[in-house]
Amino acid sequence: MTSASAPLVSIRALHKSYGPHIQVLKGLDIEMKPGERVVVIGPSGGGKSTLLRVVMGLEKIDSGSVTFGGRPYISSAGAGAKTVIDTEVRRSIGMVFQHYTLFPHLSVVQNLVLAPCKVRGEKKASAVRRAEALLERFGLAAKANAYPAQLSGGQKQRVAIARALMLDPKLMLFDEVTSALDPELVAEVEQVILQLAGQDMPMMIVTHDMWFAKNIASRVIFCAGGVVVEDGPPEQVLGAPREERTREFIDRVFHIKQ
Amino acid sequence: MSLDFSVLLLFQDALVLGLWTTIKLTLICVVLGSSLGFLVGLARTAPSAVVRGIASVYVEFFRGTPVLIQLFWIFFCLPLILGVELSNLASGVIALTLYMGAITSETFRASLKSVGREQMDACIALGLPRHVQVTSVILPQAVLRAVPTLLSNCVSLFKESALVSAVGMADLMFVGQNISNNTARPVEVLTVVALIYFAIAFPLTRAVTLVEGRILKKLAI
Amino acid sequence: MNYTFDFNAVSLRPLIEGLVVTLELTVAANLIGVVLGFPLALLLMSRIVVIRWPATLFVEFFRCTPAIVQIVWFFYCVPMLFNVFLGSMTMGILALGLNLMAFNAEAYRAAIQAVPREQIDAGIALGLNPLQRVVYIVLPNALRASVPVLLTNGIVIFQQSALVAIVAVQDLMYQAKTLATETYRPIETFTIAALIYFAVSFPVAQVVGWLERRRQVLTS
Repeated sequence: MTSASAPLVSIRALHKSYGPHIQVLKGLDIEMKPGERVVVIGPSGGGKSTLLRVVMGLEKIDSGSVTFGGRPYISSAGAGAKTVIDTEVRRSIGMVFQHYTLFPHLSVVQNLVLAPCKVRGEKKASAVRRAEALLERFGLAAKANAYPAQLSGGQKQRVAIARALMLDPKLMLFDEVTSALDPELVAEVEQVILQLAGQDMPMMIVTHDMWFAKNIASRVIFCAGGVVVEDGPPEQVLGAPREERTREFIDRVFHIKQ
Repeated sequence: MSLDFSVLLLFQDALVLGLWTTIKLTLICVVLGSSLGFLVGLARTAPSAVVRGIASVYVEFFRGTPVLIQLFWIFFCLPLILGVELSNLASGVIALTLYMGAITSETFRASLKSVGREQMDACIALGLPRHVQVTSVILPQAVLRAVPTLLSNCVSLFKESALVSAVGMADLMFVGQNISNNTARPVEVLTVVALIYFAIAFPLTRAVTLVEGRILKKLAI
Repeated sequence: MNYTFDFNAVSLRPLIEGLVVTLELTVAANLIGVVLGFPLALLLMSRIVVIRWPATLFVEFFRCTPAIVQIVWFFYCVPMLFNVFLGSMTMGILALGLNLMAFNAEAYRAAIQAVPREQIDAGIALGLNPLQRVVYIVLPNALRASVPVLLTNGIVIFQQSALVAIVAVQDLMYQAKTLATETYRPIETFTIAALIYFAVSFPVAQVVGWLERRRQVLTS
């Protein structure tokens, strides 16, 4: 497409509110380069998850725009105007949610092949082969024919990641994917995401796990009150924040260690 | 008083015939009624306010009035309005189908609603087109979730079908009442009739509980 | 169609009289059902088999046979079996009341068993004794949860009460049948009677819907 330094995602003046009184995003500007792994941190209600949901094309926006790989993707002329979402672009983005959102009536393999077969018209046999390879890689080969209800939380989340990867996304979004998990299951999911990071998959991650943030991020954005407060490499934002609000937040999160 | 159940043996054939009518009527109305209910359930979530309105009025009216009066209305009034004679069977089928349609539409509507918003998010994130969302994700889950309630709806229909005896259709209840009047042995005859209904409805209600447990377990996420 | 409507031919008076009878039946049956359904629910949950089984059988019998069969059985068989004849109104109330009692017992039982285990655990952790746990935790939870179902059952029995017309209790349905035959105006009569039934059940159904929505909001 364009040169390596051209942005993959470019978010401009993004405003988003729920109802007339609750403004969640108040003019967000973010540029993400290809190959970057952006971790978004910040207090609850600061708009992190909403940001990811907007980028996935799940939410209407009040105003602003998002481009993807240089192509216009989401735009809205202003409050009350229609949100225009290019669904073609949307298909090149994958997302994993906090609550797994596997399809409970389909087996693991069926969950994986549904979209490739129905969206891209891939032959079932070839989709199943790819699905099995992915499951093998994630240590889930034995669960291919199990139903979601028969899996542990960690297994479900790994299946959800595999399901999103089946469409070869150019960007992966992870929205608090370990928040609903028992502590002992967190590592297996984070390992899978780290493995993807090793293959230079661009990703945008919302997480409360600062250890994970430090390990995976190539860049950290601190979001609070609907705006970007601080944006920089992980060593800076997590280690030596420049902004007072970031420092307060980081202090509180790492409180126990001090 | 002394009870003599042997009198029933004389009327075995009549009772079997009546039971067969009851079962036939129930099965016909299960098929017709739940198909109608499915369409009405969809209509109640339609974008058009007119379609939604008509569907709601139908459902609320049939749920808000006694089945007996619905049956009488169709039996006595519909022929006058249409200007054609309706057989007992036809009126019974129409009345019970409309009843079944109203109660199952609520079942389908509730199960459609129970497919959560998160499932829709997942569909969008996977780029599934609208018709695939409906046919591969929403409908299968909705129908699965509806199965236990639909089964209870069938039991209700089976029980309500006894009302057709009141307009002279020769179902199990009608045959039972006739035998009871002719033999002057209501205790024996009516008790046996009740037991026959029970013998069919009770296992079905147990099945509802079993099926419900299995489906809930399967759909738990 | 060549039927000319004439709603004036139908006098409302007998229908209103019938409605009063129907409402009396409904209220009396609900009193029996709401009050006696509760102890029956306790029997249903008894740990002692010889108590639980008969109670279960009673409830299942009413739930698994047609109401019309129950009512006809009651009117014909009770006098013969027990050699008593009560007035037809009393018989109607008893038949409907027993039916409702069975359905309400099931509603109470479901509500009691739906009280989350954690609530009771919290009661134990706070040092409440078993009786206190029942009185302060289980019952308030369960009774509130059962209200919408009790109301729904109440409307159902209001509608089912039309069945007593078959055994000559002069309720709304009975009056409508008589009037339809006398005036040769079945369409008008049955339509008006149906609308009267509807006018009573619909508002109650709306209240139930409102209660359920409110409960969902409060418990979510």
